[in-house]
Amino acid sequence: MGRLLLLITLLLSLGAHIFVSRQVWDTRAEARRSGEAAYVLPSRFSRILALGYQGLFSDYLFLKTLTFYGERQMLQKPLSEDDWHYLVTSLDVVTDLDPYFFDPYIFAEGTMAWEGKIAEANKLLEKGWRYRDFDWRIPYFIGFNYFYFLQDYEKGGNYIMEAAKLSGSPRFLPTLAARLTYYGGKSETAILFLKGMLADTEDPSFRATLEIRLLALERAAELEKMIERFKDDHGRSPNQVEELVARGYIDVLPIDPYGGQWILLKSGRVFSTSKFTTARKKE
Amino acid sequence: MRGILSLAVITFKEGIRNRSLFGIALLALFLFGLNITVAGFFMRDIGKVTVDMNLSALSVAGLLLVFFVGVNLMAKDIDRKTIHLVLSKPISRIEYIWGKYLGILFFVFVSLAILLALSSATVFFLHGSYPDYFGQFTWSVFFVAAFFVFVKIALLVSIVVFFSSITTNSFITLIFSVCAFIVGSTIEEVLFYLRSSFAAKELAISDSLRHLLEIVSYLVPNLSVFDFKTEAAHGLAIGLDRLGFSLAYAAVYITVLLLLASLIFRRREFN
Repeated sequence: MGRLLLLITLLLSLGAHIFVSRQVWDTRAEARRSGEAAYVLPSRFSRILALGYQGLFSDYLFLKTLTFYGERQMLQKPLSEDDWHYLVTSLDVVTDLDPYFFDPYIFAEGTMAWEGKIAEANKLLEKGWRYRDFDWRIPYFIGFNYFYFLQDYEKGGNYIMEAAKLSGSPRFLPTLAARLTYYGGKSETAILFLKGMLADTEDPSFRATLEIRLLALERAAELEKMIERFKDDHGRSPNQVEELVARGYIDVLPIDPYGGQWILLKSGRVFSTSKFTTARKKE
Repeated sequence: MRGILSLAVITFKEGIRNRSLFGIALLALFLFGLNITVAGFFMRDIGKVTVDMNLSALSVAGLLLVFFVGVNLMAKDIDRKTIHLVLSKPISRIEYIWGKYLGILFFVFVSLAILLALSSATVFFLHGSYPDYFGQFTWSVFFVAAFFVFVKIALLVSIVVFFSSITTNSFITLIFSVCAFIVGSTIEEVLFYLRSSFAAKELAISDSLRHLLEIVSYLVPNLSVFDFKTEAAHGLAIGLDRLGFSLAYAAVYITVLLLLASLIFRRREFN
């Protein structure tokens, strides 16, 4: 009798346990989805609390940041100002824990720079360059940011020249610097850069982000090429991108993978109302 | 001298027979496996993550060996009063301290060497799987860093031996040693932070506290001295002077602690 009672109570409590733990996990998932970005422990504390395992701690923190960003991307939720603040501080702490860690820099370049946080990205990359002074990719990234986002061709050229001096840098860098100054700020530039970054990236979700951006830019570059031909034929730029279709240079306008409308900038560069980001589309 | 050696051999054998060894080995194996799984989540610096995780697993395993097996080996004799049996043999008390230390050290060395072999296999495997993502990784720096994990553990063993010589209870030895480890691994960060210009702006610290901390920095071992994980992870060169001074620091510190332990142990009464 006693044994039976015990067994029944055990079965009941096991059932209750399964029910409750499912509830708990669901509420946690909801809390994580709706919750604001977490607080990052400043590096002067985390360096001490890591108890000599700063490297391992930086790996963990970076993985957490990556997951946070990936989760927002998967749910197609635009990052709020607080989220960006979290991302920027978190990457800063990760690189304080291990300033030689390359992944945070490439991640910052792939996300922050493209979403308008150029100053923050450059600040982080400058820190990276102080430590990884043997790595040509970091000045290359900073140089690109000056070229493409800030339209500061002189500064950009200087950084890429610095990159070209470092060992292991691709042989095309000096020519690239020259070409960039000539074509400054056109989509072609960004395509070259993105292809270089893709070759360096293993993570599937980050690759997907880069590939969409590459596709958008390739389409923009295609349109830019048509505009050049239009200029050669007519001696002026088209007023709108749509004029290319009307004059028969192209059958249909390609679709912007970010869902925006193509616009023609005065510089001759083709851009989109989506600004090539998923975040702003939602606003 | 023969007394020291035979006691060391006995201590080593006792350590190898300890059951918790399996647990520690399993934990290390789990960490190596985790490493293989997690490595693919990172983008570029897979080599760095691999080395970080491997050296940290080695170091954690070493800490567990010292705190769970080492403390037991040293304090159990006193706890269970078997020390009367040992000291009735022709062994002096000083020989007892050094013999125990060498025995535990040898035991930790053998265990860590086995784990290092497994860890190298993990690194080798990942190196083969992601050859392009290992950057400037070099085996020599990796092994140097692994060796200094052992040096750090050797210093902690001497701390355990020292505290066992003054306390009567293995639990108190454990608490003291863990505290020494925590202070030892954080003291450098704390001191450098206090000396930095940030601290001057943010905190008002009295001069006497500052002096006290400077004194403490001589008393507790600075375990960051033996941390070459960052260098190993990124294949950075380590100057020979740094290696030499780190090694000398450990040697001197261990000798001082063991001499102090011998002095205290010689005059100690057992009841």
